[in-house]
Amino acid sequence: MTTAPSGTHNFKVVLLGEGCVGKTSILLRYIEDKFNDKHLTTLQATFLNKKLNINGKRINLSIWDTAGQEKFHALGPIYYRNSNGAILVYDITDEDSFGKVKNWVKELKKMLGSDIVLIIAGNKVDLEHERTVPLEEAESYADMVGAKHFYTSAKLNQGVEELFLELTREMVERFEQNTRTDSNRTSRVLVVDDEAPTQSTCCLGYRSN
Amino acid sequence: MIFASKMPSLRIDQSDLKCKNGCDYFGNPQWQGYCSKCHRELLQRQRRAEKASSATLPKPEQKKPERGIKLASHSSFSKFEEKRLRQSETLKKANLLKFSVFKKSSTDEHDHTPERKPPEFKIPALINEGMKREFRVRFTNLPPQVDRDARVFVHSFIMDVIKCSNVMTVDELSERVQRHYQHFMKYMDTSPHFANAESEIKELLIDFVEKHAMTYLHDLPGVVFSPIGTEDERLDRAMSERIQQLSWVGEKHLECKLDRTDSACSQLLYKAISELLAVDGAAGPGGKLSRVRRACRHVLALCGASASADDLLPALIFTVLKANPPRLVSNINFVTRFCNAQRLMTGEGGYYFTNLCCAVSFIENLTAESLNMDKKEFDCYMAMPASIGGSTWAAALSLCGAAREAAEQRAAARALLADVATLRAEADLLAANADSFEKEIAFKVNDVLANTPLEIKPRREPLRLSSLRNSSIPLIDLETPVDTPAPMKPSEDIPQIKLPEIMPVEEPVTVTFDRTTDEKITQNIIDFQSLEKPSPPKSPQNQPWELKQTGSFELLTPSPLGFTPFDSRSIDELMTPDDFGSDHLAPGLSNINYDIDLSDFSGDNSLAEDTPKEPKDPFSPDGIKKEPVFDPFQPQTSQSSYKNVLEKFDEFSLIDSKSNETSEAFEVVHRTQDSCTPAAAEEPGDPFSPVQKEASILDDSGSPTSACLLPSPLQPQTR
Repeated sequence: MTTAPSGTHNFKVVLLGEGCVGKTSILLRYIEDKFNDKHLTTLQATFLNKKLNINGKRINLSIWDTAGQEKFHALGPIYYRNSNGAILVYDITDEDSFGKVKNWVKELKKMLGSDIVLIIAGNKVDLEHERTVPLEEAESYADMVGAKHFYTSAKLNQGVEELFLELTREMVERFEQNTRTDSNRTSRVLVVDDEAPTQSTCCLGYRSN
Repeated sequence: MIFASKMPSLRIDQSDLKCKNGCDYFGNPQWQGYCSKCHRELLQRQRRAEKASSATLPKPEQKKPERGIKLASHSSFSKFEEKRLRQSETLKKANLLKFSVFKKSSTDEHDHTPERKPPEFKIPALINEGMKREFRVRFTNLPPQVDRDARVFVHSFIMDVIKCSNVMTVDELSERVQRHYQHFMKYMDTSPHFANAESEIKELLIDFVEKHAMTYLHDLPGVVFSPIGTEDERLDRAMSERIQQLSWVGEKHLECKLDRTDSACSQLLYKAISELLAVDGAAGPGGKLSRVRRACRHVLALCGASASADDLLPALIFTVLKANPPRLVSNINFVTRFCNAQRLMTGEGGYYFTNLCCAVSFIENLTAESLNMDKKEFDCYMAMPASIGGSTWAAALSLCGAAREAAEQRAAARALLADVATLRAEADLLAANADSFEKEIAFKVNDVLANTPLEIKPRREPLRLSSLRNSSIPLIDLETPVDTPAPMKPSEDIPQIKLPEIMPVEEPVTVTFDRTTDEKITQNIIDFQSLEKPSPPKSPQNQPWELKQTGSFELLTPSPLGFTPFDSRSIDELMTPDDFGSDHLAPGLSNINYDIDLSDFSGDNSLAEDTPKEPKDPFSPDGIKKEPVFDPFQPQTSQSSYKNVLEKFDEFSLIDSKSNETSEAFEVVHRTQDSCTPAAAEEPGDPFSPVQKEASILDDSGSPTSACLLPSPLQPQTR
């Protein structure tokens, strides 16, 4: 891995999930670490750049919120194109949203292979008593698809920080794997590098999609 | 040389522009006067000949690098042309010939392609200049090598893209461009020039490079923006039509929470739309991205507080539908292909741009289901002429535009008002300044006057003269009046004394004068001789008098008597009636020259009959004006004829070399008039009337001449 003094890792992370599962809330909660609570309501959290420092590596996270409505589902590929990580959010009180997550996972696996780091987040654990998605089912599914599972509560600020931290760590790891085994390298690596000729191909994807 | 070279260009004929081979295409001096096609054939023939005979033919005068590139483009030419033809074929099939740009480029290509080349290799110099300038402003603390590197990179980048644009498909070209970016980034990481640069600076640099390279390339037709070989333009048109068809889609269909009655809402929408429309105008991908970003921020604001992506996308779709931005697909494709991929993937601009892509994609694939509406209803809407739908929003937006304009003008008016206020304040200040300045000046003037009150002292010279003279001639008590600084009082005194004295003397003389030389003199104003002739008969004593025309300089000449010379001023002052009255007979005054128009005198006499003539008199206006000041003489001046006479005085100089008595002759003439006229006028209020009586007594003193002579010279003084 080329870590030139100025070389920061740029990672793109998309938040996917059905509408009203709390994607935006999670993002807002994550931002809240930087901003005052009072500002929470006025923030327009659709996009966030977050700088991290993990193991001495400077990392720049670009977190993209996406529209979760069903009618925009078809636009997913445009959103998650070139993503390094995806956070799939479901509502533990809403079985359908978990089904949607499964769909997303399938789609992502199909489109991006194993190069994308998947995190499944069961949100709204503060509503534990209304849980409809069994905990075991969710975790076993996550294991099956090779994703990490987190329980979060944007309201109580539970698990959000951990979620992003773990995601970042995973992405760095995945990135380093990819650089080690050049054959695995794909265009999704966005870090400035000498050997990323394939990167540009992804830019042409728009029409093809 | 100049002529030879310039003359022909003045009458250039169209045939001169044509290819030398006589084909219908235009030739180009760069192609030795051939059209591109003929030139290519020529070149090929030459090359073949070279190969065959290995005898070097004289090469065309082109420079080497240019030539190399041209050859490269030639080799690619056929392929390129073929591609184009294919393109135009498909277009024709699709009945999309309205694409004037396309049509033009395919039909004119034969001319265009070669002609475009030469400028393409000159313009980078301009880019160099622009880059240098901007670099100096933006990256002040980077070493100059960086500047140079950037420029070298941009140059080679542009050259490479232009070279490849004809050979490669757009996707290949895009890949190549991205690789260029990568190379530059890698270079920045490795080169010592950039050792000190922060990563942010490097990002700015890559943006800088991208901006300049792409801005130039963007404007080249069919290279990177809606390139030849793509369907971008057709898609643009299709998208535009589609959006028009969908103009009936409202905020409800998209489930976005917009309040069309809220003016703030429509204002924001208006701003977002104008930003979206401006995307097409921005040249570089960076510029386009920032426009999109601004537009999306407005849209976000439109969604209200705590808007999420769930709100943003519908609102953005709605905005795009209402905006119908020109060349939307081309712009999107341009950015996706040629923007630095890294920024597109990570930056905020990239995020919003992606949202825009989503919106466009959504609009493209919009169906009844995606709007949650019945298929039939949807079809009905789609069948509806585009002009019907969406009129409410269109109206709202147009109103919004008008309102915005009004607001702008109101703001402008307010600014103007503020300006007016300040202007008025400044004007007041200025007025106050002027006022105080005036006062100050007045004060200073008064001060100066107070400090130096006796500018008038020179007058005393005449006093000396008069005293000298007085010894010889017991004249008048005028010495005292002379002393007094104020001219007015003495002036009154004098006439009082003199006027009457003249009276008796005059009358006989006037008669004679009239008879003898009346006509002659009136005609010749300045005839001295004519004056002299008549004078002897009146009084033999006249001889000592010499009349001559004088310039004012004579006044300056020192008196022959050895008295202190009169400067013009002192003389002038003396000429106030009082002074004169006292001095005129003094020997010291012998040098004073009075301009006396004797002819006028005669005229005066005759004037009783003749109406005033000689308007020509140059001095007449002056005289008239001055007269009123003189109280005693006013009645006389009221008679226009008399005025003339007075003025005439100036034209003649009277030198009395001897005694005063001789002068009487003149005075007589004058007096008669003087005395008579007031009487004739019968002005009761006349100050002279009493004076005259007294004067008659004084008459004998021999001063009378002064009386008649006085008026003309005095006038300037008194005023």
